[in-house]
Amino acid sequence: MSSRWPRPLVPLVVAVYVGLLAPLVVVIAVSFGPSAAFEFPPRSLTLHWFEAFFESQALVTSFFRVSLVVGLLAAVLATLLGTGAALGLVRFRFFGREALEAFFLAPLVVPEILLGAALYLFYARLAIQASVWTLLGGHLIICTPYVIRTVTAGLVGLDPRLEEAAMSLGATRVQAFFKVTLPLLRSSLLSGAIFAFIISFSDINLALFISGPQSTSLPVHIFSQIQWQGDPTIAAASSLQIVIIGMLILVAQRIFRLRLVI
Amino acid sequence: MGDAQRRRTWLALAGPYALFLLFLLVVPFANVAIYSVHPYSPTKVFLPELTFANYLKIFDLYYLRLFGRTLRLGLITMAVCVVLGYPLAYFLARSRPRVQALCLFLLIMPLMVSAVIRVFGWIVILGRKGLVNQALAVFGLDPVRLLYNETAVVIGLVNVFIPFMVLPIMASIERIPPSLEEAAQNLGANWAQMFWRTILPLSVPGLLSGCLLVYSLSISAFVTPALMGNARERMAGQQVYDEVLVSFNWPSASSLALTLIALTGVLMFCALLATRRASRREAAP
Repeated sequence: MSSRWPRPLVPLVVAVYVGLLAPLVVVIAVSFGPSAAFEFPPRSLTLHWFEAFFESQALVTSFFRVSLVVGLLAAVLATLLGTGAALGLVRFRFFGREALEAFFLAPLVVPEILLGAALYLFYARLAIQASVWTLLGGHLIICTPYVIRTVTAGLVGLDPRLEEAAMSLGATRVQAFFKVTLPLLRSSLLSGAIFAFIISFSDINLALFISGPQSTSLPVHIFSQIQWQGDPTIAAASSLQIVIIGMLILVAQRIFRLRLVI
Repeated sequence: MGDAQRRRTWLALAGPYALFLLFLLVVPFANVAIYSVHPYSPTKVFLPELTFANYLKIFDLYYLRLFGRTLRLGLITMAVCVVLGYPLAYFLARSRPRVQALCLFLLIMPLMVSAVIRVFGWIVILGRKGLVNQALAVFGLDPVRLLYNETAVVIGLVNVFIPFMVLPIMASIERIPPSLEEAAQNLGANWAQMFWRTILPLSVPGLLSGCLLVYSLSISAFVTPALMGNARERMAGQQVYDEVLVSFNWPSASSLALTLIALTGVLMFCALLATRRASRREAAP
């Protein structure tokens, strides 16, 4: 570990981090401030906007009934779909495997705003009303590739002889998978699920199109409130999202190499 | 396991996701392609005629300027991300594991928070009574209009997308052994010469994929230009959003979406190839 990088870099690095973190710090500070006019720095501290948040029917619904529920469902289902897909890609050799892998990861390279528009037009053509379920469908498309990535990384680092050893000791293939492979994949599965939840929970580009008026997700709600000059209640909601995501990333970092996210 | 059984196992594992992608990715975009070659009618959702007018329309002055502006802002964003992101990537790649873990957390945490919240923060900072204008007032200066122009959009885009520049560059610098730097310096190169002759050329694959990622994300951005930009100087993503949800001109939105996806798709594919090739080169003896 050479630490001989030149000193002049330090101020630049600090400046970039200030720029990266400033918006989050400001949002959290505004949510504790007394002023309704997004004042920074706050003159005193109050929990007024958090109370207002829990009293706002619309915000509570979009936070707990839509974003949180869709996020959790997306995490569970994307983990199931993605683990199956990753096993299919890593444990089998067949013609066109690389092309199929590219197809499975394709949602990562499709701009989300265009995927949202395409899903909106597709649901409209089939006369499907926007709801929590249409949103969940879209989120599974963008979340599952993250699970495929983490689980593929876990599977590649796994010695296939462990499973063979279990089978030579009398386990069936299914038993060997559930008793040996799956426990060893635990951290990949968990971090895949965490990222799937976060991607769904913070998504706005798909939700703008397919979350529907009765099931507005939290980011969409915040988006429209910013456009119509809302009050710091949305800052309180944003602070809660920042804290939830921050804690989840701390957990993910303990069990997985964060840099593989992109 | 027999061949038939293997096939069945494979289908049970990967089949559900493949079906999902087929129905919620392939078919929706096929639907968009169909819309894009049909004429727009203010009264009917769908007319059974074929036309290329929606694509030819992109060569109208309005759309040419839209794409010109979008591609230009994407380029500026990418350039600023290189200037600010490269030093950070180098710092991260060469810092001690503990520092690196903390700094990676601080880089990825903002990335994962919804873009709309980060843009919200910038609006508070740059607004009429925001932090910057308050600071100006302290020096007795008049408030400046910092929001709702192209500079604000670039600030927002850089903030949202810079991690996509930093991480690939960091990965490629980490593959360069520090001993190489020491060797160059022992042979008499100063830091700048060493950097220019060894680090920079060897990190080109990461730099390239970072640039392509940031560029294609920027030209398809919506939230940042919608909240921080001028309503009359839109970017392409805003135009798609408006034509789908506001003016309901779905055929036009479709041709626009496919043009944009062709642009970003080609770029993203190149980025993937660049990183792939780099990791293969590393794997080879």
